[in-house]
Amino acid sequence: MADLRTEEFTVNMGPHHPSTHGVCRLVLTLNGEKIIKIEPVIGYLHRALEKICENRTYAQCIPIMDRFEYVTAMSCNYLFSNAAEKLAGIEVPERAEYLRVIMLELNRIASHLIFYGVTAMDIGALTPFLYGLRERELIIDLFEMTCGQRLTYNYIRVGGVSRDIPAEFEPKCREAIKIIREKLIDYEGLLNENPIWLVRNKGIGVLPPELGIAYGVSGPVLRASGVKYDIRKDDPYSIYDRFDFQIPTRENGDCYDRYLLRLDEIKQSLNIVEQALDALPEGDIKAKVSPNFKPPAGEVYSRVENSRGELGVYIQSDGGKKPLRVKMRGGSYNQLQVLPHIGTNCLVADLVAIFASLDVILPEVDR
Amino acid sequence: MSYPLAFGELHGLFGWLYELLESTGLPQPWLDVVRYAMLGAMVFGVLSLLALFLVWWERKIAAHIQQRFGPMRHGWHGWYQTVVDAVKLLTKEDILVDTRDKFVFFWAPVICFVAAFLAYVSIPFGEGLIVSDLNIGILYVIAITTFTILSLLMAGWGSNNKYALLGGIRSAAQVISYEIPMVASILVVVLFVGSLSMVDIVNSQSGWITNWFVFRLPFGPIAFLTYIVAATAEANRTPFDIPEAEQELVAGYNIEYSGMKFAMFFLAEFVNGFTVSAIAVTLFFGGWHGPFLPSWVWFLLKTFAVVFLLMMFRWTYPRLRVDQLMEFAWKFMVPVTFANLILAAWMKYAGWYW
Amino acid sequence: MTFDELKEYLAANFADDLTLLDTGRHEPVYEVKAEKLVTVCRRLREDETLKFDFFCNLGGVDTGERMEAVYSLASYSKKIRVDLKVILPHEKAEIDSVQEVWPAANWYERELWELYGVHVKNHGNLTRFLLPDDWDQGFPMRKDWDAPDFIRMPEL
Repeated sequence: MADLRTEEFTVNMGPHHPSTHGVCRLVLTLNGEKIIKIEPVIGYLHRALEKICENRTYAQCIPIMDRFEYVTAMSCNYLFSNAAEKLAGIEVPERAEYLRVIMLELNRIASHLIFYGVTAMDIGALTPFLYGLRERELIIDLFEMTCGQRLTYNYIRVGGVSRDIPAEFEPKCREAIKIIREKLIDYEGLLNENPIWLVRNKGIGVLPPELGIAYGVSGPVLRASGVKYDIRKDDPYSIYDRFDFQIPTRENGDCYDRYLLRLDEIKQSLNIVEQALDALPEGDIKAKVSPNFKPPAGEVYSRVENSRGELGVYIQSDGGKKPLRVKMRGGSYNQLQVLPHIGTNCLVADLVAIFASLDVILPEVDR
Repeated sequence: MSYPLAFGELHGLFGWLYELLESTGLPQPWLDVVRYAMLGAMVFGVLSLLALFLVWWERKIAAHIQQRFGPMRHGWHGWYQTVVDAVKLLTKEDILVDTRDKFVFFWAPVICFVAAFLAYVSIPFGEGLIVSDLNIGILYVIAITTFTILSLLMAGWGSNNKYALLGGIRSAAQVISYEIPMVASILVVVLFVGSLSMVDIVNSQSGWITNWFVFRLPFGPIAFLTYIVAATAEANRTPFDIPEAEQELVAGYNIEYSGMKFAMFFLAEFVNGFTVSAIAVTLFFGGWHGPFLPSWVWFLLKTFAVVFLLMMFRWTYPRLRVDQLMEFAWKFMVPVTFANLILAAWMKYAGWYW
Repeated sequence: MTFDELKEYLAANFADDLTLLDTGRHEPVYEVKAEKLVTVCRRLREDETLKFDFFCNLGGVDTGERMEAVYSLASYSKKIRVDLKVILPHEKAEIDSVQEVWPAANWYERELWELYGVHVKNHGNLTRFLLPDDWDQGFPMRKDWDAPDFIRMPEL
């Protein structure tokens, strides 16, 4: 048996693969089932959003931002509006800020619920996927009630929000919060202590904090490695400094911790939404902004804490109606960069678990 | 004269066919050939219907676990949905890969399908309702169901696809590993009955429910539990469905198959699920025995109960990783089943059982 | 550390390397000379008071007359943020890779090269990844780039 000839073989995982969450292609070099090299190949979803934005007015850019990261389109709306407001020096009314925070946090919950479902599905449990989407539906209904859209909201505009919430929003929202709180107990009961879930996730894909920092990883993935870094606290935007919430962290940085951390974050976000609903003031929802406003020449880098890490946009204005340059930055971009470092020397099945736990979403990477 | 086949309680329904055959005056060997062909067609027909029903049933169970409705359009709660699906698959274009190994690629689904059905030669559906009561019945069933591995390997190799190859190799490793604990669990039963014949095994469990093998303490329940775990792995169902592992290997060995060839794999999978459940019922749950109702109804009820258990596994658990799966087989299942077998043998020898 | 304190600190310690650019009322943007980029970056990262260890973003800009590379940096522990700008000529722009300081810069620099045609020295893996492998139509994010199927919207 000593002179048995073995060969490495290369597998293209994707672009059409059920668990690459879009159209990512990973070129895997395998030794048996063990991965010895991963090379991510991106760009299959490149829509040249940055180039399109250069050709539109600031107000017209916001629907484009919806497509940048469609799972949490509210964050992208907010991001661009915030950057444009900083550039032009626009003051946002109080009520609009509260509505923005409510929507941002609801969208974060919706995104984490998708994460819960998709991760479980990638590890082979098909049922949690439906459970996650069922509760997400409650949130999506709230969005639909508010702005008429279910995925690409175009709700947060430069200077405020596009329309006020209807009267039945608040009771429905409180009911949804109550239901999600109850269902979270079910979720944890279904997977947290499941022995198969534990052996598939514990100690898999450990991301050391130094590696995460070197590769600019942020958000839940980094917090699961023990780095307490959240832009909502460290570089507060909007009115996040008014709310009382915790930044959960975990120590081990493996897939299981990333999963638990996101469940913790859902609970914190629910608290924020409740506090914002309690304190919601009356008043205007939008500052007076001309649709073709011209910000003075200058540049700004604005960033928000998204469910996948730092979401940032760099805008440079030359004083015209259209931005000179819009550069978007998504958390997944860095998380995909770090994947080859934490995914080698594990099995194909582990790679799927790691990929799912990083919660990479491809429109954010390819833009 | 003794018929080579019997319908048991269903003799009233089908007995006239025999008499019709007798009246043709064919010589005896020819009569036997026609009879076996007839019976084969019957088993095939019944099992195909069962498989179609199981597909629908599984979809409904999955849907209700996941708080959906599942198929609702075709008939009452979509009862003929799978028939429509099967017709669709039959009429679908058969997409073939150019680089396939033609011979292997073609025969893989056929072997899978045929092997799945051949097992039913010696599974008793009811009292006297068995195609052939082989004296090595259970051995025959185990041997024939193992053919499935061959077909999966062939499918994996013949597709000339890396994912399919990984799936085929995984399935071979898995099924061979789990064959050992499965046979060791079955041997416990065989040891006590003293016969390999399926009918003898069932008859030894007649009478009260306590005669069922699963209630023979302490080794009966252990043997059943180890059997059902190994059988889940044999039938390639979650949490042991790594040969298919949709999220890792896309669809494993059947990635390149489409149309009717895919349908053959698909139906064979459900027939296999039914087979392992039928063996479980025969070995551990008293086979067709039961009061009031006809024997074949009891058999089907019990088998469906076991199938339901397998389906609950599938829609609740995540999937194991391939090395964890093998570890579980060799480091846990094999020692436990062998210890159980030794315990049972010792108790049989000492006469400490009832 | 507020922005004013950051400005004072940088003026005191990095006066030779960083020039504050006037870009209105926002976070400070400093200009760095291209040849000093890597050393300045390393100092910024290793400075105990600043600790700019978070590489947020790198965006290329084509203003029509010149190329700019804008590095957005932050610190994981110090709650501060700064932007650095490197101004490059429009043609034959070259910049040093900062991967040895922040490995995260790898893909951002590849993007800079691919979309703007800014050559990144010492990068090691300048291959196409957002555009098709056989792309031969130049650098699409440049202002003077035009393609047959790209239609500029009329001025509003």
